[in-house]
Amino acid sequence: MIAVVGLNYKTAPIDVLEKLSAGCGREGNFPAGLKAIPGVHEILHLSTCNRVELVASADDDSRPVDMLKSVLARNGALTDHEASCLYAYRDEDAIRHLFRVASSLDSLVMGEAQILGQVKDAYRRALAENAIGIVLNRLMHRAFRTAKRVRTETGIAANPVSVSFAAVEMAKKIFGSLAGKKILIIGAGEMAELTCMHLIGNGAEEITVANRSAAQAEMLAEKYHGIAVGLGALDEALCDADIVISSTGSMSYVVTQDMVRSCLRKRKNRLLFLVDIAMPRDIDPAVDSLENVYLYNIDHLQDIVDENMKNRRRESLKAEQIVHEEVAQYFNWLKELEAVPTIVSLRTKAEGIVRMEIEKESGWMEGLENADREKVEALVNGIVNKILHAPVTVMKEESAEFQSQDIVAAARQLFRLDD
Amino acid sequence: MPALACCVLAMAGYLLSLLVKKVSLARVSTWILAASFVFLSLYLLLAAVHSTGWDYFGSRHFLSIYAWAIAGIYLGSQFKSKTRLLGAFVVPFILLLLIAAAGYGSDKNLVPPQWQSWLTKLHLLLAIAGEALFVLASAAGAMFIIQNSLLKHKKPGKMGRLLPSLGELDRINHLGLLWGFPLLTVGMIAGAVYAAFVWGGRWPADPKVIWSFAIWAVYGFLLHQRLAIGWKGSRMALLSCVAFLLFLSSALLIRFCFATVHNFI
Repeated sequence: MIAVVGLNYKTAPIDVLEKLSAGCGREGNFPAGLKAIPGVHEILHLSTCNRVELVASADDDSRPVDMLKSVLARNGALTDHEASCLYAYRDEDAIRHLFRVASSLDSLVMGEAQILGQVKDAYRRALAENAIGIVLNRLMHRAFRTAKRVRTETGIAANPVSVSFAAVEMAKKIFGSLAGKKILIIGAGEMAELTCMHLIGNGAEEITVANRSAAQAEMLAEKYHGIAVGLGALDEALCDADIVISSTGSMSYVVTQDMVRSCLRKRKNRLLFLVDIAMPRDIDPAVDSLENVYLYNIDHLQDIVDENMKNRRRESLKAEQIVHEEVAQYFNWLKELEAVPTIVSLRTKAEGIVRMEIEKESGWMEGLENADREKVEALVNGIVNKILHAPVTVMKEESAEFQSQDIVAAARQLFRLDD
Repeated sequence: MPALACCVLAMAGYLLSLLVKKVSLARVSTWILAASFVFLSLYLLLAAVHSTGWDYFGSRHFLSIYAWAIAGIYLGSQFKSKTRLLGAFVVPFILLLLIAAAGYGSDKNLVPPQWQSWLTKLHLLLAIAGEALFVLASAAGAMFIIQNSLLKHKKPGKMGRLLPSLGELDRINHLGLLWGFPLLTVGMIAGAVYAAFVWGGRWPADPKVIWSFAIWAVYGFLLHQRLAIGWKGSRMALLSCVAFLLFLSSALLIRFCFATVHNFI
């Protein structure tokens, strides 16, 4: 049986999540003693900011799952009430849950890219701990495959769902490549810095920071190898910049239409992209009516983000379908796994008998021609294969129908495979 | 003609790509267009090998060379920029020219003997190249206008994502003007020089000559505004579209309403 035990941001309040996460060791430290739990064969420990989960391959009864739950509760020093946030999925549900987690369908921000890396890290740690065998190994590789399919075959991760990334996307739509573009930051807010960081990540180069407090401007400018100017030099900086991000606490417009208009000629009408993420506004909305000037404020960007989020939810339906397919495939393999070893040992046993009998009769077979001896061997093998064909076929068929266990057990008894 | 078939296919691909809003389709269409270009090149090359001198300049070949130049220039621009969707606006011209060449063009030489000279060839080829570049510039301008209005209305949506960025479209518009204008200028000078030999000092009131000069002046004005005054972006896009419409309507008007020595098509 495959089981997933744990809790996430949906089932538990953040403090419980943090408690458990700290108790289990956020990074690295594999909870000791997990492997020693009776009935648990393979185990993997996934811990991120939003979830703590154990994935296990275990015996087919409820004891291992209960044990895993209590180990988690003990590690996190959870009260009984807090421990009730723990969930446990089994078999198909467990596989589906894991695949959805890896594909970022279960994430706080659906479609985010980090979770797959975190799942891969968890897998690597479990490998290093020697806690993974054939079942979880295949399960994890299927999970990675599912995540990859979801990423490439659906648009779930296609468009940005944060305001700062939406601003970068718009910048790209305006300028094409951001290489060599000059950024002007007015005010030194956190969001402005984040957006600036993403812009630099996409190739933008020269940074100018204009701020009321010179010290803060210097600090930010130094961080990104830019230059700091006072608000007095704003006009000049505006003429130079391609992208302007404004987030001051000013109660009146910092950038007015006249300021922008007067520098249009000096900039030779180069395209200008203004992002106003301040509340109240920093940039006069009338600026947008100027030619080749594009002003986006936080509401516009938020609208784009909302639209993208809606698209992601739509795409998630496709993703769920992919997960559904992959779960079915893995589950089939898992079910066949039970019949397969039996079929293999049945064949091995039959081959052993054939070899033994031929050796026993080697005396008179010496007198035969080579060709005749081969014919006799072929005949014997043919008979054995014909006899085994029916039971093997039945076991394979039944294993696909969830009912192999009885038949597999019967075959083991009839052919004395367990002796 | 396989070139025509490929071109129809490419056009369908571009339209579909606009419809389902997938840039990958436009990418495939660009390759199909490239195949069409190769076929067309082979066709023209074979025709050139088989013909002797001026037999070559029937209206079929004239139209084909026109289509070939536009396709070649568009494909060339795709090496430097990722504006695959632009094909959706360029390919219709190529397609119309190819259809005209296949259905309506004749192999009968239309250049009278007294006009047959290398200067005429130069005049024709440079004028075609210059006009093909203007087609590209105007297509980029038209797309710029659409993308500009999407971005100005803060509702980029799927269409805004699909269309190329403003910066790249403006650059193509710029390059189209920058290269098209001098080519056209040299082409027209070549024509004028030869005309001076044939007609002597008298310039007949050939409507094509007059209109061409007017269009040439408009493009010259645009290029001047761009280079010297620094007009960019939406104004430039709009004006190059207007200039192109002017060019197109004048060409059609002259073709069907006036008698001119330039009646190739």
